[in-house]
Amino acid sequence: MTSNDPDLHTLVGAYVLDAVSAEERARFSAHLAGCASCRAEIGELREAASSLGTAEAVRPRPELREPTIRAAQATGQLAPVLNGGQSTRRHRAAGRPRAIRTLAAAAAVIAVAAGAGVGTHYADMADHPSTRPASVIDAVLSARDAVMRSAPVTTGGVAIVVASRHKHMAVFMAHGLRPLPRTRSYELWLMGPRGERPAGRLVVRASGMARPTLISGMSASDMVGLTVEPASGSLKPTSVPVVMIGPQSL
Amino acid sequence: MTDGDAQRPRALSGGTRRAHRPSHRLDDLLTDVARGDESAYEAVYDLTSGWVLGAARKVLRDPAMAEEVMQEVMLEIWRRASRFDPAVGSGAAWVMTLAHRRAVDRVRSERSHAERELKAATAVIDYDDVTEAVENSLERQRVQRCLGSLTALQRECVSLAYYGGYTYAEVAGLLGVPAGTVKTRMRDGLIRLRDCLGVAGVQR
Repeated sequence: MTSNDPDLHTLVGAYVLDAVSAEERARFSAHLAGCASCRAEIGELREAASSLGTAEAVRPRPELREPTIRAAQATGQLAPVLNGGQSTRRHRAAGRPRAIRTLAAAAAVIAVAAGAGVGTHYADMADHPSTRPASVIDAVLSARDAVMRSAPVTTGGVAIVVASRHKHMAVFMAHGLRPLPRTRSYELWLMGPRGERPAGRLVVRASGMARPTLISGMSASDMVGLTVEPASGSLKPTSVPVVMIGPQSL
Repeated sequence: MTDGDAQRPRALSGGTRRAHRPSHRLDDLLTDVARGDESAYEAVYDLTSGWVLGAARKVLRDPAMAEEVMQEVMLEIWRRASRFDPAVGSGAAWVMTLAHRRAVDRVRSERSHAERELKAATAVIDYDDVTEAVENSLERQRVQRCLGSLTALQRECVSLAYYGGYTYAEVAGLLGVPAGTVKTRMRDGLIRLRDCLGVAGVQR
């Protein structure tokens, strides 16, 4: 793209206002690289445009603060750009269990979003070159095709599943679960056309938060189900699932 | 396995808002965030999350969706902090560019073709409606006053784009004005807005 494309230059205002199509945005960004005066103009107009947004500030709900901050801090950061686009990998501080942090943060964020029962594409948040998987769980969470879905648990709480079709794996998380008597436990199942397969027992803390549980061998048509079973274990689910997630939702 | 909550008492007690004057402070904080400074990030959250949420609400008109976008943008700020360059623009402009683009992308993907037509009618007048929870009414008044200094067409073009999330081509269709005119009005409208607001970002 040449820097003296007169037609393109008229897009300055629309570009700053994000009032261009994706193609135009890309073309204009390329144009900017070779047009110092455009960059200067855009810089100034951006300050003005951003005032349109900051003037509308509203106070976020206080309960969003902690989970949002933690979700961010559990995420990898982009390395600084060196010499025109060549970037180096950068890793978060060692010594901290990254997967745990990531999951806790993801769970916290979903806990907030779960009220609306919305599925969220997690891929864009987690899929990043500088996010190095520290474990299998983390690998699922940061899979390119990772999709996150949450649903209320009928007996209380919210369940979250992050699944990667490509990896045939999912991570199950939950919080706010009703405590069970010693004789009962929460069991996970993969439920598909070929029947139910056990997918693990949840470890639930006193807070009602379940430890993130890795589910492997998941096929595209499987749903993840959670049932309450005798603590001695069951070969097949013996009660109605308290939550089922997937696959169409995944 | 330890409980994430227990690890972070500092953050839990972090209701204290840092200094209320963002401008240069925000630039410095973002630079610190780029180095992974977690307490700087908390301060950035306190300074900017309200802006981001407010802008997202204007564009999306859906409080729950706006909260999602706010959370995504706050995460983007953390991730992309190394790309912030104070020489190019203020931290506020950088944050709001991320925020607005994300909100616009979201609203475009959400909107069905039919909805588009309907919401257009309200978008034109909506720029000056009163939101109950606006945080900084002085700043808001100032921006409103400056928007009022634009010509009607400039104001409509800028407002429909910024608050409505419409492309210039869509604005042209909505207003029945040639696309080339809309592009020009967006640009000279922003220039007038900039001149009215004064030097970039100073008053924040």
